[in-house]
Amino acid sequence: MKTKVTRRKFLAGSAGTIAGLSLAGTLPKRSFAHEEGEVIKIGFLGALTGDLAGWVLPGLYGVEIWVEQINAAGGVKVGGDWHQIEVISYDDEYLGAKAVTGAKKLVLEDEVKFLVMSFTTPVFAAQPFLTEQKMVSTTLTPSDMSPERPYLIAPVEQHPFYLVTGVEWIRRNRPDIKTVAFVTQNDELGMNSLATYAAAFEVAGIEIIEEKLFGFEITDFAPVVSAVLAAKPDMLCLDTAYPDYINLILEQAFLQGWQGPLIGASLDNYPAIIAKTSQEFLEGYIFHYPDFDDPRLQEPDINFTNAAEFYRVYTERHPGAWNAVSWEYAAILAMWKGAVEAADSAEPMDVFQAMKSTDAPHIFGPAAWWGTEVYGIDNAPVGKWPVVQMQSGKPVIVDMADMRPWLAEHQDVLMRHMKDRNVI
Amino acid sequence: MKKASSPWTKGLSLGALLAAVCVLPFIVKPFQLEVLIFLFINIVLVVSFRLIAITGEFSLAHVVIMGTGAYASALLGKWFGLDPWLTMLFGSLTAAAIAYILSFPLFRMKGFYFLIGSFAAGEAIRLSWGRFRGVFGGSKGISAIPPLEIGNINLGMPVPFYFFALAWMVICLVIMYRLEKSRLGLTLHAIHWQDLLAESVGVNARHYRVLAFVIASFFAGFAGTMLAHYLSVISPHEFGLGIMLSVLVWAIVGGVGTFAGPIIGVVLLSFVDESIRAFDEYRPLVYGIVLILTILFLPEGLQGLPARVTLFVRRFWRGGRRETVEARPTGAGVASDRPPPSAS
Repeated sequence: MKTKVTRRKFLAGSAGTIAGLSLAGTLPKRSFAHEEGEVIKIGFLGALTGDLAGWVLPGLYGVEIWVEQINAAGGVKVGGDWHQIEVISYDDEYLGAKAVTGAKKLVLEDEVKFLVMSFTTPVFAAQPFLTEQKMVSTTLTPSDMSPERPYLIAPVEQHPFYLVTGVEWIRRNRPDIKTVAFVTQNDELGMNSLATYAAAFEVAGIEIIEEKLFGFEITDFAPVVSAVLAAKPDMLCLDTAYPDYINLILEQAFLQGWQGPLIGASLDNYPAIIAKTSQEFLEGYIFHYPDFDDPRLQEPDINFTNAAEFYRVYTERHPGAWNAVSWEYAAILAMWKGAVEAADSAEPMDVFQAMKSTDAPHIFGPAAWWGTEVYGIDNAPVGKWPVVQMQSGKPVIVDMADMRPWLAEHQDVLMRHMKDRNVI
Repeated sequence: MKKASSPWTKGLSLGALLAAVCVLPFIVKPFQLEVLIFLFINIVLVVSFRLIAITGEFSLAHVVIMGTGAYASALLGKWFGLDPWLTMLFGSLTAAAIAYILSFPLFRMKGFYFLIGSFAAGEAIRLSWGRFRGVFGGSKGISAIPPLEIGNINLGMPVPFYFFALAWMVICLVIMYRLEKSRLGLTLHAIHWQDLLAESVGVNARHYRVLAFVIASFFAGFAGTMLAHYLSVISPHEFGLGIMLSVLVWAIVGGVGTFAGPIIGVVLLSFVDESIRAFDEYRPLVYGIVLILTILFLPEGLQGLPARVTLFVRRFWRGGRRETVEARPTGAGVASDRPPPSAS
């Protein structure tokens, strides 16, 4: 039977949909694992829509799974009682104005005890209020830290400092590599990364023979990649760039016949890249974000319970969404949980003191609070970070390297490069 | 004929509205106060956007122009230590000056070409903020922008800033309203509907379009300075295409045909936006549906809704009898509150 959709029916249907959605909007905000008993609320404030959502939303998926698993195991123990955890999210759209609004809602109305944030501008905008409230909040970029933001910590992400571990691995295992060329995203992320790589390559005795910067206006990577390959480097470095750019650079390098070694900070959605290039092309690629089913992450020094199960559930529930941040926000909460149980309190300042009083229980093992030399405050734990290599189409942790000895010995080199590139 | 409301009724309505908004900061929750503050800034932005629209052109550089005001004010404060009040004025003037410079290439174009040209010009400016880190702070932008102060009152605090933003929003709206109702405003409407005819009687259409563009940019720049000094941090992303599209949606959904249309759009959609936060990543879908429905069924925007409702109710009571021309809602497009242009 042929059904005719009239203008009136369409209007009524659409209006009904909007009304339904709006009505649903009056329901409690997205929160999960809220069960009976007193719950401890945590705020999640980041870009869930827009350009930067790709580095936040997969993290929220990870947080959902982590909370489910922790609550299923009883929750978090405070004062002899078990408490469920509830995470309340707010989309800041990567805008300062929305971040301020969201921070006030989460802290004053929802009464969260801990605030997980994304990075840069929204973090800066919300900090005056959060500092006044003595609310502990987190960022993914340690360069956001400042003495004016005393309760802002970067508890998991050690970018760009972990990059030195990959270069050290290259120095030890690939002594044949003497030159490198860079394709670099021309923003704070890329330039911080470039400065750190430059310092690490200088220490390793590898010469940088070409640096090609690209801006967000780029539409074609062919000339950029041609320029760096024309320098005939031993190795190509993709620095730190947004996942879409990494994919396009690799595709161009493949098309232009590059067959040498590759290094970069991340390699998100590698199955899609392999599909566009080849497994052989990516073989040996060195980066720093493992899959969580890696055997090394199941060892007892890793402060993340059931990493493999977490990865299994994540990839089943959100196929193709696993990327560099999928586990990071969950790892922040794992560290927070440890501090809550150590402090026997969920109050922000008690947790903050507990976190800072000892060596930080970082996800990849013991770490030391660090940062004064570069950012004026020791609010980032620095310790071990994985060096990951593509082997037969799968990321494999080839080293769990401690970056502290390198930083202690070569900090002057790092600072010089950071100042040269105007990132500090 | 529609009966015009008396000056007394208008005055009382405005007085009641003003009294209500003065009480609001003491009864709403802190985060709702933030929503209201940014709403006031956005009202100035979207109404200034309409000032260009009434000449028949839509500028996709408007939010970037807002950003030039914000950046200028922030940089003048940081580099020269100027008082924020002074930097706000200079910031607004900078936005107007940049708009004047842009007008030379942009107003060689019209319609779709102007739209794309303004987008390209805006992106060029915005990308330069990211590229020249030493000056503009790169993608991280500029932080620690000094807050405004009046005597001992720190306007960086929400309640004082609420009244500050409210007062300046009212001042800006009054000025822009008076401008539209002045001879200048009539000329702008004329060159939208009949630019050749206007030129034939001695009106320099290009000159008036540039004038509207510069004046609108001054107010957009002012909105940017308010944002910068309240947030104390700005970055290129704050003035990106996403925000520009929001301004377009506010204006189109509200209706650019009347002065109140964009205000209705931004107020309503801001509250809708807050009420559907539970949907997180699905909110743009709701926005999209609202936009499509508006374009399909309310081409004159929400400001035309009362007339349509009135028409519907009258039809209902009169058993579906066809309504007279006077009761029909106004047509689509800018200046729909005016008589349609003669075909002759």
